[in-house]
Amino acid sequence: MAGQTDHSISIFSAAEVEFIAEDEMIEIVPNIRMNALNLLCGDFGPFLPQIPCTVPLWLAVALKKRGKCSIRTPDWMSVEKLTQVLEAERESPREFQPLPFHYVEISRLLLDHAHDDIPEVYMVRSLIEDIRNVRFHKVESGLETISGRTHAVKLKNLSAMEVNLVRPFMARVLQAFYKHDSPEMVQQADTSASKRPQVVDRGPRRDLRPR
Amino acid sequence: MPGYYDISDILMEDEAVSVAFHVGANGVGLLDPGTETNSVEKGAKIDLPFWLAHELCRRRAVSITIPSCFGQKMKKDVQADAACVDLGTRYPYFYEFGCKLFPLVGDKSIGLFLRHTFANRYKEMLSKSHTASLNAIPKFVLRLSKEEYQLFEAARSSMVEFKKWRVRDLGLMKTTIVGHKRKTDLH
Repeated sequence: MAGQTDHSISIFSAAEVEFIAEDEMIEIVPNIRMNALNLLCGDFGPFLPQIPCTVPLWLAVALKKRGKCSIRTPDWMSVEKLTQVLEAERESPREFQPLPFHYVEISRLLLDHAHDDIPEVYMVRSLIEDIRNVRFHKVESGLETISGRTHAVKLKNLSAMEVNLVRPFMARVLQAFYKHDSPEMVQQADTSASKRPQVVDRGPRRDLRPR
Repeated sequence: MPGYYDISDILMEDEAVSVAFHVGANGVGLLDPGTETNSVEKGAKIDLPFWLAHELCRRRAVSITIPSCFGQKMKKDVQADAACVDLGTRYPYFYEFGCKLFPLVGDKSIGLFLRHTFANRYKEMLSKSHTASLNAIPKFVLRLSKEEYQLFEAARSSMVEFKKWRVRDLGLMKTTIVGHKRKTDLH
């Protein structure tokens, strides 16, 4: 089977996921005057001092490094919102809270390069760490319930970096379970264990090979 | 199933199985250390490598007896505690071997037994593989079969890579990332 002896089953490295995340739009407040930039991905209007505008993240970080702008924190990165999200994550042991898809990468880039623009930066950093830990433990506990019956594992609201982290492991585990649980090998009906909402079983098993 | 060119498949087929010959065979007395003549008697019990036994079984020249790794003792061990069974040193090709052996031998319970073992060991492996660090090799890794070891490696390498990415460029600020100690951490 494809991928069973492939040792590099992880398609994206962490740096590549970060690169993709840098396409997200973010608000900045420039402090210089500059003409409009006409790029392939879009036109970013003439930059006037103290007038906020929206640019991609990579451009914002580049300008920030040269001291030409200050980055405005996105709404979801305020201390109140993050505390709310953390509380909600701790309360519901099976669901993930909706967070921006690239929140890990965006928060890391902003905390590295724009830490003077973020109010209460240490609080924000530790909150995001906690959120990440709680979510990851939920992923792990959800993975425990995979059995042979699982065709697919549904993890709603998981972010890009978290998905990339578990992708190789989960792909191989599903393959291994499929191999062991093929119709020729299992002779008797299995009593299905209790299923959590995270792991979705798509109806009755369909045999992919003719008996 | 892995194909003709797969190294681990080739190595796996080198395992010895005990077979009982249905027919006499001339000229292959090499296989049986006990014979005087250069032939194998009908009904003799010999250890052959699996690839040879597989072919002969297809031609119905031999019948394969179940090796000890799928026998009663192993089943009792697995029932006692699946995660402690030492597959790494004794039978690194446990699962692949079982899958290949299954259609040839009359015992239908092997398939279920394999799956049961795997499911139990998987739970233990899950949490440990994600939190293992790069340098320390936990003792339980030595107990994993080849297939399980690949799973473990996949999880561990992606975790390590993520951690490296996180502290990149940070330099002195690394101490702010140290999180709380969780009970699943190994150290």
